[in-house]
Amino acid sequence: MSKIKKKRIGFVLDMTPLVDITFLLLTFFMFTAKFKSDSENQQKFEIKRPRTQSDTAKLPDKDLVMIKIGADSVSKDTAFYVSMINEQDIIGLRQAMFEAKFPGIDEKTSVYKIKDTVWLGTIIEKCRIVNQRAAFAIDADRRLRYYWVELAMNEMRKKRATTFNFITEKKTGM
Amino acid sequence: MAGGGELGGGQKQRRGKQGKRKIKKRLGFRLDMTPLVDITFLLLTFFMLTTSMITPQTMEMSVPPELDVPIEVKQSELLTIRVRGDEEIFYNMGLDAPEKITLKALKKVIVDQNVALKNRCIVVLKGSSGAAYGRVVLVLDELNAAEPEIIEGLRRVGINERKRKFTVAPYEAKDAEELTGL
Repeated sequence: MSKIKKKRIGFVLDMTPLVDITFLLLTFFMFTAKFKSDSENQQKFEIKRPRTQSDTAKLPDKDLVMIKIGADSVSKDTAFYVSMINEQDIIGLRQAMFEAKFPGIDEKTSVYKIKDTVWLGTIIEKCRIVNQRAAFAIDADRRLRYYWVELAMNEMRKKRATTFNFITEKKTGM
Repeated sequence: MAGGGELGGGQKQRRGKQGKRKIKKRLGFRLDMTPLVDITFLLLTFFMLTTSMITPQTMEMSVPPELDVPIEVKQSELLTIRVRGDEEIFYNMGLDAPEKITLKALKKVIVDQNVALKNRCIVVLKGSSGAAYGRVVLVLDELNAAEPEIIEGLRRVGINERKRKFTVAPYEAKDAEELTGL
């Protein structure tokens, strides 16, 4: 009896392997973590992307013009939110939009909230001037009416941007 | 315990004597790792919960540019797919009457028609403005999924090159009229 009791009092667990593994996982998750960008922080709507089954490519992280279509959670109006990804493109586009006198633009604007197709056409044109290699990506909610997407597609076709991407989510559990 | 304070002066003289004692201390050295583990686990759970493993995917689509001059195509080579406002999908070849179809059956039709027409089939997608965007994307997805089978089918009839002909067209009042009552 006494022997067992003594052992328990001095019980020490070697935590080194535990710490090893924990640190390994911690560093892995730290490096893979991607934090929300500034423009995503300003976004006031949530996008439920359409789910697709076929193997699609990963979204490029540069040379991209993102056209988000979403309904504002407060005012409930649907609008296009256009933004570019590359740092110099954001600056270039801001300059171009300053010259075009986009309403409500300031030194910090990186996402352009657009409601009419005239401005949408203008910004698509500017984006193409700023970065010729930029690909267009449409990110819209799957419950949204197709009408909005069609408007965006028509504007892009008018501006000769005929290849574009739909941002989707991979269907899980197939 | 006292070692920390004594480090300042007369180390050199005592080195020999203390050396042995220090080694002995180090052998039994134990660091309490519990707070370290606590913090590490906390950070680990934080990062695990905040990372989303689902990366957005893209579906590339090419459409012909909007031209001022309309291009004439043979009606018999035209496969029209229409998505009505209530999410129903209809297809028709050329001037045939539109037929209601499910998403799953659509793939087979696309493959069959493309192979039968030997690359000349033009797929036109018309989405009603009231239809959900997600539904239209599902149709596009089906078209993409049919592509490998079309290539295989064409190879069987001796065509090695696949030329994809696809376009989107506006859903007009005429289309809605044709689909009423179906």
